[in-house]
Amino acid sequence: MTAFIDARTIPNGQVLTPDLAIVGAGPAGISLALALKDSKISIALLESGSTSFDPEIQKMYTGAQTGVGYVPLDAGRMRAMGGGTNHWGGWCRPMDAIDFEAKPWMPHSGWPFGRATLEPYYPRAQALVEAGPWIYDQKGDLVAGTKGPVLPLGDGGLYTSWFQFSKTRDSVLPTQFGHRYGDDLRAAKNVTPYVRASVTGIRLAANGASVDHLDIATLSGKHFTIKPRMTVLAAGAMENARLMLASNDVISAGVGNQNDLVGRFFADNPIPRDVATLVSFAGPLAAFYGSNQTLDDGAIMRATFAPTAAFRRKAQVAGSLSTVEPAVDLDETGKAAVITTALALGVNAANAQAYSLGCGIELSPDPDRRLTLTGEKDALGLPRLKLDMRVADEDFDRFHQTLTELGRQLLASRTGMLRINCKDRQDWMKRMDWGHHHLGTTRMHNDPKQGVVDADGLVHGIANLYVAGSGVFPSYSASNPTLNLVALTLRLGDHLKKVMA
Amino acid sequence: MRRRDVAAAVVAAGAAVTAGLYRFTDLFVKHYPPTPYDDLLTRLTDREQAAKLGAQLTGSFDLASQSTRLRDTFRKQDLAAAANADIAAGRMVEIGGWVLPETVALLSALASRV
Repeated sequence: MTAFIDARTIPNGQVLTPDLAIVGAGPAGISLALALKDSKISIALLESGSTSFDPEIQKMYTGAQTGVGYVPLDAGRMRAMGGGTNHWGGWCRPMDAIDFEAKPWMPHSGWPFGRATLEPYYPRAQALVEAGPWIYDQKGDLVAGTKGPVLPLGDGGLYTSWFQFSKTRDSVLPTQFGHRYGDDLRAAKNVTPYVRASVTGIRLAANGASVDHLDIATLSGKHFTIKPRMTVLAAGAMENARLMLASNDVISAGVGNQNDLVGRFFADNPIPRDVATLVSFAGPLAAFYGSNQTLDDGAIMRATFAPTAAFRRKAQVAGSLSTVEPAVDLDETGKAAVITTALALGVNAANAQAYSLGCGIELSPDPDRRLTLTGEKDALGLPRLKLDMRVADEDFDRFHQTLTELGRQLLASRTGMLRINCKDRQDWMKRMDWGHHHLGTTRMHNDPKQGVVDADGLVHGIANLYVAGSGVFPSYSASNPTLNLVALTLRLGDHLKKVMA
Repeated sequence: MRRRDVAAAVVAAGAAVTAGLYRFTDLFVKHYPPTPYDDLLTRLTDREQAAKLGAQLTGSFDLASQSTRLRDTFRKQDLAAAANADIAAGRMVEIGGWVLPETVALLSALASRV
């Protein structure tokens, strides 16, 4: 078993020549290395951070922001072995088939392939994130239903869907890829993991058609070179874009940016809090609505309200996942609404219980929600990022429509009712929080004029440079990205096995 | 005292007692002064709560046209049936953010405005 190699021990000027360089050891980078371990491909897995959090390294993420309020660029991501899984919540849910479709009401949406293409990779992805047996929507009602009744919603636009959760340890944290798979990486004969190895440049051949080498630097002042046959950028949607834009010595617009797409279409999942109040006429809901429940087979599940594909098409709404949060007290108007409505419908609401409702929303792709470089540089001389963050009113309007439908269904099934707490943009923004799901900056499309990478993740126009992770998602879904990006990365692993054989 | 005055006093006292008793029963059943919309408002089991809800409806509410509309609705069905028909047809109205069947919302707004 080999230890992680601290890049500060590499002599200045050394040139390393692995078959494959994976830039970034977050969930994508580690999943790819694991997918290719024990193959004949020699791999350098390059992590800029250390095996644990280092504030000096983390500072390299600092950047500027304009537009709507958003989390600072050095928050919501982690520059350390394991990347974002060092602080994720473990929420897992596969994207829906409709998430992959081009939707006429949502410009720029659609993947180059459907969910069926990812289907074979989900079981392995589920195993890597350690989310237990695959249950989700296929049998969620049956399995979780043994813990309590599923709220009847009747026919309509929403249904009870299911999250599963990455296994927790000591009841605190879900699977942290760096810690969980560190030994596997050390044991793999063909994988050499480096820490404190920051890529500072993707250097193209003179004709701009392939990567010649990568510049590596450490905060201690070491500089060396990696000259791989193939390179996969897996440093996260922000950092991949930053590296590509900053590497502009051969192509002045930056690597892969000949069509001015790198850094555009940035997205996250808004998770505004307390967006609605859900009243259950019959009293408290089953526990799996408001908190994670561990089932007998080890699966950890939680219910969520999701729009059906048919409703999304008919009402032209985006993906969303609404979750039941803590119980709340109704104000006088709320009590009046429940009494009046229950009496009108002839329903007994004497034991009614109200809950706050949270959510995760899918944003529409927007080319102007983008990352660009600033004149300010980090400790290794790489230009810092600026994010112009935007949320369209239509995104709130669409989710409002979805909530209205949920309210209608609750009444139709005589099980409850709903209050929507946000009436205008100001209300939504006041409650705004973010999923820290960085998406879309190197979007996938078969047409180089509409995407940075092709359906395999290969950067258009560059023969040996790939991008992995949720940065390639061309449209986003409301499902948390980790499970999905791991599945997509495993697919890339199979592709690389073929092209590098 | 003339007999006529005694009779008047007895009638007045009786009226006062009756009125008092009537107000006393307000503790159990709220009494409202008559309105031109009582045929609609009697459909509400708890008019006070409905009025509290309806008061949150923002924007204009035309009593004449909305009451005509409600009367048309109730010619064909009772409140429960009308509310269920609204829900089935997606005729939903928000009052204070509450997603309500249109008929319930209109009736509540009417209760708050008379």
